[in-house]
Amino acid sequence: MLIPHPLLGPRDAQEFTYLGDARLLARPDGMAEGAEAAFYDYVYLRNNPAGVHRELWFHEHGDRSWLVVTRDTLTHDILGAELATDVVRRERPR
Amino acid sequence: MPDLAPLSALGAETPGSIHTGRLVLREISDIALATLALRNGGTAPMPFGLVLPGPLGWNPGNLAGAFWIAPGQWMISADGRAHTDFACDLKSAAPDCAVTEQTDGWAVFEIVSPEGAAPIGNLLERIVNLDPRILNAGAATRTHMAHMSVFLVRPADDRLTILGMRSAAASLWHALLEAVRGISAHG
Repeated sequence: MLIPHPLLGPRDAQEFTYLGDARLLARPDGMAEGAEAAFYDYVYLRNNPAGVHRELWFHEHGDRSWLVVTRDTLTHDILGAELATDVVRRERPR
Repeated sequence: MPDLAPLSALGAETPGSIHTGRLVLREISDIALATLALRNGGTAPMPFGLVLPGPLGWNPGNLAGAFWIAPGQWMISADGRAHTDFACDLKSAAPDCAVTEQTDGWAVFEIVSPEGAAPIGNLLERIVNLDPRILNAGAATRTHMAHMSVFLVRPADDRLTILGMRSAAASLWHALLEAVRGISAHG
């Protein structure tokens, strides 16, 4: 399986370690109303879709960046990859 | 004063060196290494007049060389300065960056091909699972080799520098030697 690293080109999946659902990037605000329930969902609940899934991969034997990889869990097609830092900056504007 | 003699990463008083027929494999024990990382929001400095390269890039420089290892991070090297406090000199040259000594963390090996680029290309196909177009002359990258993490630098078409964990120097040397012997025996 090849992962198209946005900076380094196509890389063998063996260079990476897998973490899981990219929704982990959306950490709830611990001081907000209903934080306990939000953290319960955040820590314990994961979707397990048959189809397109966004997931976190760590480029351990590479530039040590976290990537958000979009993968089809039915076909193992890799549909795209981007730096997790870029995703966070885009989805959590400060 | 005790009479202390430095040992190379392979544990010998002189660096390892083997000529296998088509390729030369040798240990480089006198190269100084340090990493340089930008602080949050910092801009890239020019330590020792060195332009820090982008992803996959390597710059041989004059007083020191550099290759890109991660966004905002570079490995800086200086030939023949392993016995000096190179990290301290680098910190003086780039005071706003985080500098970490790396000389004692890595073993450095070099493979030279007197026959030109082809044997190095054949070797890369055997030792790493990397798109061959990635590691052209002047490129550097980190990848996976023989269950270890290594940095590969391709200073020229006919040579390859490999940096591996110093604590696994002998394992890496063994893996490289087997591959180099295979190329020499079978092409």
